[in-house]
Amino acid sequence: MADWDELAGALADYTVSCNENERLRKMQRDWSRVLHFVCSDTGTTFSMTVERGEIQSTPPGHVGTPDIVVTADSETFCDMFWGDLNPVQKYLRGEITVKGSQEDVMRLDAISFVIWPDM
Amino acid sequence: MSDTGGPSPSGMVLRRSIGTATATATSAGLAFAAIDYLGVVSVLTYASGAAAAPAILIGGVLVLIVSGIFSELNGLYPTAAGIRLYLGRAVGDRTALVVTFTYMTTVVLVIAADAFIIGSAVRYVLGEPPALAYVWIAVLLGVATGANLLGVRLAGWMQTVVTYTVLLGTLVLSGIAVFHVGGAFRRPLDLFGMGGFSGIQAVAFALFLFAAFEWVTTTAEEARTPPVITRALFVAPVLIWLVASVFSLGLTHLVPFARFHGVAYPQLLLGKAALGTVGELWMLAITVLTALNTFNGGFLVASRFVYAAAREGNLPRQFARLNLRAVPWLAVTTLAAVSAVVAAVVFATGQWLVLVAVGATIEAGIYATASWCLVVLRRREPRPRPFRLAAGRPLGVVGVALFGVLFVATGFSDPENARHFSALPIGIITVLTALSTLYVMLVVPRLRAAAAARAAATRTRRRPPRTPSAAQ
Repeated sequence: MADWDELAGALADYTVSCNENERLRKMQRDWSRVLHFVCSDTGTTFSMTVERGEIQSTPPGHVGTPDIVVTADSETFCDMFWGDLNPVQKYLRGEITVKGSQEDVMRLDAISFVIWPDM
Repeated sequence: MSDTGGPSPSGMVLRRSIGTATATATSAGLAFAAIDYLGVVSVLTYASGAAAAPAILIGGVLVLIVSGIFSELNGLYPTAAGIRLYLGRAVGDRTALVVTFTYMTTVVLVIAADAFIIGSAVRYVLGEPPALAYVWIAVLLGVATGANLLGVRLAGWMQTVVTYTVLLGTLVLSGIAVFHVGGAFRRPLDLFGMGGFSGIQAVAFALFLFAAFEWVTTTAEEARTPPVITRALFVAPVLIWLVASVFSLGLTHLVPFARFHGVAYPQLLLGKAALGTVGELWMLAITVLTALNTFNGGFLVASRFVYAAAREGNLPRQFARLNLRAVPWLAVTTLAAVSAVVAAVVFATGQWLVLVAVGATIEAGIYATASWCLVVLRRREPRPRPFRLAAGRPLGVVGVALFGVLFVATGFSDPENARHFSALPIGIITVLTALSTLYVMLVVPRLRAAAAARAAATRTRRRPPRTPSAAQ
């Protein structure tokens, strides 16, 4: 199980990787969403606010009304934000569950795919 | 795994979610494509005259069993990847992949068929030479591909309006045709009038009228609550049954079988017979409107499936490449190219009713497989689900047998002549399934091995090792 400090570290790295990727920023320029995350094993929750493809904040707890809610165990979230796992494989095995539109689910995966194309 | 249904785990409702009306429109819109008019012609081939109506009714009742089965499976796995998940859990990952790849070919068939039907209808109304139909087909597919590549999507509310307009427009004109003076119903209630097996084949083709209604389960993650999808799965078939039944009655009432059996646009003949040129243009407009749903929903569902399969390592990774609008461009263009080739083959051979037969056979096979999944998952996954089909296990067993028979009935049908049998539909499906199986057995393991080798050679784990204090 990963605690909040580990998650925060992973989120910080993910934010930098995402925001510094010009191609990704251009691709996601029309994508502004509020994401809620729920760790199914620890009950930890956190949010992510994306404005025109730029991750603006990743505070603990749930902030605002979500467009997408993602649920997985804390280890999966950590590995996902560090780019050490392929989110689609976990999603297709039912280990990551998402509530939101199919398009948003794909956009979320696209972030990982563009940042870490070899994953 | 948590249940993703209902309000979000945070207790909040999503900012954007779909309700029953939109979900029902999605389900009915995915099912009611232009090819459904030819589906009605196929039913009329085996149950002539007014006998088509009871065949469609029986087909509709059977589809309600399917609604119950998919509702329960969707409740177990409320995700766009649901079909892969419950197939995988019930019959194994490889078989699930083979079935899913074969299933997805119906999307290509429907896109190709709709392009062909709409192109033929436009050409007919404009009085152009038959060869120009393919120009219209190419234009339609080109526009649809361009719109998809640009990320243009039909808004939910517009999709709802389009679907209900198509259904209502067809229903009203068909109703006018039914009450039109001058026609006559032929062979009422003579379900087995075309031979001892014809009634079963008529019901099997009636199933095709509802084909793809179950794809609404791919929107489960957007649904406001789990019952939204269940309601859509039960209401949409009723709407389709009503429209298809009245259309079949109107068509057989006003247009002789010999006139509409050999053409790709029977709905235009009905419109002309009912209201003259106004009716013809009315049905042309409705036909063109169906394209919005087919090309929007079909391209979207299929291209995202291809993207996910490529990301999972089951298709070459190039299919996951995204353009600057976050659209999997190679998946979209490949789908369009394959659809254009299929449409060209249909255009050259004139065998459009074979497409209907192939689609109907695959759909019956999918329903039999879903029934089997229910039987297996009742045993393997007894956990509670939001919807539990009453007498689910016996109904599942009945479904396997029933849809298995209908699979054979359409697989060996000759839609050109009800009194003949043909192995062409089952032959095409056998080839498709064999190709899928070979691909899954031979190519997928290599793709996965190559991906693993590439990752091992180029990647090191980025996540820092856990410190002793964090590990505690």
